[in-house]
Amino acid sequence: MIKFIWLKEVREELYTWKSTVWLLVASLLFSFTSYLLLTNKELSLLDQTELLWLLSKIIIGVGLLIVTIDASSTLAGEFEKDTAESLFLAPITPYEVVWGKIFYVVTLWLFVFLVSAPYILVTSASTHLTGAFLSYALLLGTLAVFGFSMLISAISLLFRSSKNTLSTALIILLALAVPALFSSTLKTNSVAELFGKINPIEAIFASLDNVLVDYHMRLPQNMQYLIPLLVFCAVAFAVLMISIRQFKRRGIVKDE
Amino acid sequence: MNNIKGIVAIILLFGGFFFAQAAFAKNVSGSDSLDITILSARNLNGIAGDYITIVGQITNHTKKPISDITTYLSMVDTENKLPVDLEDWSAEKGLYIGSIDAEQTLPLKWKIHFVKAGTYTLAVIANIAEQEKPIASSLTRFEVKPKKNLNPGQVLPVALGMPMLLLAFMAILQYRRSVKVSA
Amino acid sequence: MNILSAKNLNKSYGSIQAVENLTLEIVQGEFLGFLGPNGAGKTTTIRMLTGMLPPDSGEITIAGLSSDRKTDIARSIGVVPESRGFYDWMTAEEYLIFFARLYDIADCKKTTNNLLDQVRLSDRKNSKIGTYSRGMKQRLALARALINNPKILFLDEPTLGLDPQGQEDIQKFLQNLNRQGVTILFSSHLLPEVSALCSRIVIINHGRLIASGTISELQQQVHRQESSLKDIFFLLTKNND
Repeated sequence: MIKFIWLKEVREELYTWKSTVWLLVASLLFSFTSYLLLTNKELSLLDQTELLWLLSKIIIGVGLLIVTIDASSTLAGEFEKDTAESLFLAPITPYEVVWGKIFYVVTLWLFVFLVSAPYILVTSASTHLTGAFLSYALLLGTLAVFGFSMLISAISLLFRSSKNTLSTALIILLALAVPALFSSTLKTNSVAELFGKINPIEAIFASLDNVLVDYHMRLPQNMQYLIPLLVFCAVAFAVLMISIRQFKRRGIVKDE
Repeated sequence: MNNIKGIVAIILLFGGFFFAQAAFAKNVSGSDSLDITILSARNLNGIAGDYITIVGQITNHTKKPISDITTYLSMVDTENKLPVDLEDWSAEKGLYIGSIDAEQTLPLKWKIHFVKAGTYTLAVIANIAEQEKPIASSLTRFEVKPKKNLNPGQVLPVALGMPMLLLAFMAILQYRRSVKVSA
Repeated sequence: MNILSAKNLNKSYGSIQAVENLTLEIVQGEFLGFLGPNGAGKTTTIRMLTGMLPPDSGEITIAGLSSDRKTDIARSIGVVPESRGFYDWMTAEEYLIFFARLYDIADCKKTTNNLLDQVRLSDRKNSKIGTYSRGMKQRLALARALINNPKILFLDEPTLGLDPQGQEDIQKFLQNLNRQGVTILFSSHLLPEVSALCSRIVIINHGRLIASGTISELQQQVHRQESSLKDIFFLLTKNND
């Protein structure tokens, strides 16, 4: 069942141009930034490691933004377009529908990653970081996307409106991403420090810094950054389960 | 505000230069005590990204050695009327000369990386421990042309190819769909 | 033998009691007309019966299955719901194949093409649903409801907004289905259509069942032997206001 929902989503996204346009936008952004970064590197205004770190942040950032926007309408769209009733009238559980949609969102991220791979290869050429860059961008990005898609699905079931879901999801994404972009000098108090330690986006950037700048490429050396991401996924999973249970209690059709 | 800063910088640089010349003339009657010349003045022009070596020399015209001399490069962006932070240009810091013998000439070399296109004016300034005022070389004007490399790090095939590939994929997908789906 | 049994169903939306103590039974093979004025609770009742909306209280049994066995019930019923959204980017064939797969139908393509033949959409099966007329969409919704060869079919105003030809097409199709043994619960505001099709009629108002029976039984109930269903309906619903 999950497979059919996933397949339907993939076909819908391809045939309605939604995903392909996103991938094109992502590739244009990657083209532009990698070109600028390499030009700067050639002028020695940028270290190779700094270049790779910046590019990795851009890839993860663009990936997360695309999946947030897309995931916000994937499930909520079924309610808005009045297709949810027919869908849930079939012998399918809400769990199967939601997981089918989540796997589609992860697939979309994998496509974004696939588009970014040639840029990673060209910018990390002549370094020993290509393998590590590809592996960690894939691992960290997939974990983050998985967590975000679960959280967004939970919100979608609550609101059943893509507009409300999108605005909430963007607020969450910004709330997590903006502090991660602050310089460490701004994180002086203990609350900011604690937030920094549990913030999954900050963990991604710190891990990429650890791998690409400090050359700590082994998995155990990055466990401290992977744990906040895994905790984030676990929390998102719990929120999703509560949301599905709530959804089943309220009924497929919203109370009028 | 930047214009004012630029003008002040130029006044300081040029002022320093003339003042040093005047001071030097004052210190040594009849002839220059030390003379700094930029030898590579004609070869300085280049393209952004080039590494070039600025070659100069310092000559002691006096009959006695002079010690504790430090020479520096000083540069002004003539177009924008701003002093150039040479740290970005990877220019080595001051060259220290322990001592220069009487009537001796020593070479001066700076490796410099052309970072940004523009027109610049360069001078070598020397601080001499025994003298109150610094001395300076003549001003050398040079031009750094913009970098015309369109393919840094072989990125162009990917930067252009990937969006093209995706557009081609979209076109094929649309075509296949239109063949299958009737109006 | 009852194929559907609903006992003491209650559903409220905040302070509004949409369905109150409704008890309903449908015999296998029956063509039941389900009538009521706007806001009477018809759609809410159908949604509760089809598992889309949990009742506040009451019991529902469909084809011997209690309402908590939702996926098993889903395999026994077909529904044309009130809200008829479609995946407009799909073709009719893709749409039915998608649902056939969800129902785990063995030969999806064959089943789909048979249904498209039955609802006379074969010639447009490769067109995007977004290009379909309202009548074609209604027929497609009907085909989707029949994809699992259901024992009982719930139809919430299936002929709404159709031209007379479209209405007649659907009516004939439904009569044919009923003859083949499919039990039908048919909700409509088109009373001549209901009286022509249905073997028994249930009328609800303000969420309560106010009458149930064949047309002649309803005529006896209002003591007017020659009355049309329209007159009976008006009389019963006015008395109940």
